[in-house]
Amino acid sequence: MDWELLLGIGRFLLATTLLLVLTIPTAFIIIQMELKVIASMNLRLGPNRVGPGGMFQSTIHGFKVLAKEDTIPDQADPPTFTLAPWMVYMAAAMSMLVIPFAPGAIAADFNIGVVYFFAVLGLSVVGLLVAGWASYNKYSLLGGLRSAAQMVSYEIPLTLSIVGAVVLAGTLSFSEIIEWQRQHGWLLIWQPIGLGIFYISSLAEVNRTPFDMVEADSELVAGPFTEYSGMRFGFFFFAEYVALFIMSGILVSLFFGGWLAPWPFPAQLGGFAGTLYGIFWFFLKTYIFVFIAVWLRATLPRVRVDQLMGMAWKVLLPLALVNLFVTAIAVVVFEL
Amino acid sequence: MTKIDPETRIPDPIELDRLEEARLRGAAGLVPARATGGEYAGFDQVGIPDRPPQTDREREVYSLEEGEMLVNMGPQHPSTHGVMRLVVKVRGEIVVDVDPVLGYLHRGIEKLCENATYTTVLTYVDPMDYLSTMHNEHAPAIAFEKLYGVEPPKRAEYIRALVVELNRIFSHGLMMGFLALDMGGITPILYAFINRDEIVDLLSSISGQRMLFNFFRVGGVNFDTNDEFLSRLGTWRGNVLKNIEMNERMITDNEIFRARTMNMGTLTGRDAIALGVTGPNLRASGVPFDVRKAHPYSIYNELEFDVITQEAGDSYARYLQRIAEIKQSIHLIDQIIDKMPHGPVQAQVPGIIRPRPGRAYAAIESPRGLYSVYSISDGGPNPYRFRMRDPSFISLQAIPKLMPGRLVADTMAVMASFDPVMGGVDK
Repeated sequence: MDWELLLGIGRFLLATTLLLVLTIPTAFIIIQMELKVIASMNLRLGPNRVGPGGMFQSTIHGFKVLAKEDTIPDQADPPTFTLAPWMVYMAAAMSMLVIPFAPGAIAADFNIGVVYFFAVLGLSVVGLLVAGWASYNKYSLLGGLRSAAQMVSYEIPLTLSIVGAVVLAGTLSFSEIIEWQRQHGWLLIWQPIGLGIFYISSLAEVNRTPFDMVEADSELVAGPFTEYSGMRFGFFFFAEYVALFIMSGILVSLFFGGWLAPWPFPAQLGGFAGTLYGIFWFFLKTYIFVFIAVWLRATLPRVRVDQLMGMAWKVLLPLALVNLFVTAIAVVVFEL
Repeated sequence: MTKIDPETRIPDPIELDRLEEARLRGAAGLVPARATGGEYAGFDQVGIPDRPPQTDREREVYSLEEGEMLVNMGPQHPSTHGVMRLVVKVRGEIVVDVDPVLGYLHRGIEKLCENATYTTVLTYVDPMDYLSTMHNEHAPAIAFEKLYGVEPPKRAEYIRALVVELNRIFSHGLMMGFLALDMGGITPILYAFINRDEIVDLLSSISGQRMLFNFFRVGGVNFDTNDEFLSRLGTWRGNVLKNIEMNERMITDNEIFRARTMNMGTLTGRDAIALGVTGPNLRASGVPFDVRKAHPYSIYNELEFDVITQEAGDSYARYLQRIAEIKQSIHLIDQIIDKMPHGPVQAQVPGIIRPRPGRAYAAIESPRGLYSVYSISDGGPNPYRFRMRDPSFISLQAIPKLMPGRLVADTMAVMASFDPVMGGVDK
């Protein structure tokens, strides 16, 4: 019997279970942040009844959606209608596999982690499109088509923006990219343009304001989610916030040194203490970017769908290509 | 109980419905239901009973070409103002045509007023345009004073001007917020409500109510100013510019906001006049028409102010016009406070007013434009006819002209820039 293989499978199962479980508090924390942070930016109090300072409001929301009636419209297509939330949620949850939380705390350290990540996260667009089509609702349909257009367009600058970083680091594995950053300094310094493009595109990719065209509550009611209720809607909701967390995590890993502290990583810290130390820095930095996304939501209006597409194709894509070109030349010339 | 043949296929309930409908239609002698995709397929899509189109316009809007669909925006929709319903014909994301459908908030206020005494009419008009309640009362008050031949005392006129300008400020302030809200910016509306709340507290301290003030009387106003009102007015005057600027900083120079409002929904001055658009929307198109200046009423000929206009006539110009008018109103309030005379606030009028037979017309400048009242008296205790011209109703006409060729997202943004209030539109 190949114990190595069994151990590997066991470790993988444990890790995936842990990650799936992790999505729940993550979503709750971000929703709570959104409730309270936006409230304070709006000069409101925000929820303050459930728990001390209202800190269990989002948890209660979670239980509320569980208890709600789950309806399927008469003319919807039940198989696809019920499958769509699952597709969106799984795309987000599966892409969590490659997120490097800390040295040693990474569910699957693929050597093509970056490719895997973008491939899997991109699947969520299929779920949104299916949800939009299956609902038999015009708002949903418009929202679904918008999501297809938007997410497919933004995937291109998003992916191209990190190719520069990948070329510099010479690897597609997240942990090796972080290791490279430990030696050479954070990629933020090396790839500022890539960082900018990545950040804008990632907001569009996870449908955050100012690019939340898919939901666009003032135009499309709730886009593809209009007809959903109960836990199916809850899954969409969860997936959205988990995706925000993941995108921030990937941004941190690629450009802000992942689990690295802002000062040199203490070499004597190894094993479990080192993992905890890494997790601390990873979560701190990730939640800073989550906070910025929430902040943007409180500040900015939504762009229009044509402006959104124009920006992807006319600004971000050429810029990403130029960035990649310059990086590649620099790597060859200076032998980085 | 009929026996079911086990060989029979169990019919689809939807198909059964269709068969039942056909049977009922046949029994009632109606034409069979038109198959979808017919000449007026649009009726089906927005829930209008199948019937021949009543007008050419209806034929134009509700017959669909290949690739077009009709979307109901409202009456239940997160962003329509109140219960407005727009039937939007779209080709993908592009708007081909817009048909505003009105009447969901119709309360028959004009008819109610015809059955009320002249004094109580002023309470009925309050909930009409619920963001400019003071203005709603102002025009009937002037009209009835003309009918009855009574002049309100000078101090009452000044208090009237003061409260309507305060009302104008919060109404315009809310428009800034709603415009941003319809584009997805959630914060400006809450900042606008801070300013509104201060003014509403202020007005409630003089009138006793927070929304439907019921402050005007035929021949004067209900109460004189009191200490609480004056002290709140002082506090508010100290904060207001700061509040407005705080909100303005969020919107005015925001790149996204500008990109979405500039050159959007451009209404030329000529078109605006032809459509009957008045108020800030007309002035934003460069036409210097302000009822306060053109046909001075109340004490506006004693105050110094200029008619503000914008050049562009687009949504952004309409927004800037609102801000400029807020500042103008603050300037007017300063003058009113400086010049306010002493004296009574209510002329002598009987409890039940019976004007001589005649007719009177009064127009005022409400935050949404020219708001006027035309009233006929037959000598009885209530108006024989009472008719109101609401500016938002007229402004809505412009929206179907402006929307074709734009995107769905712009429908809401352009509509919000006209600042219609459905309570006023439907009366």
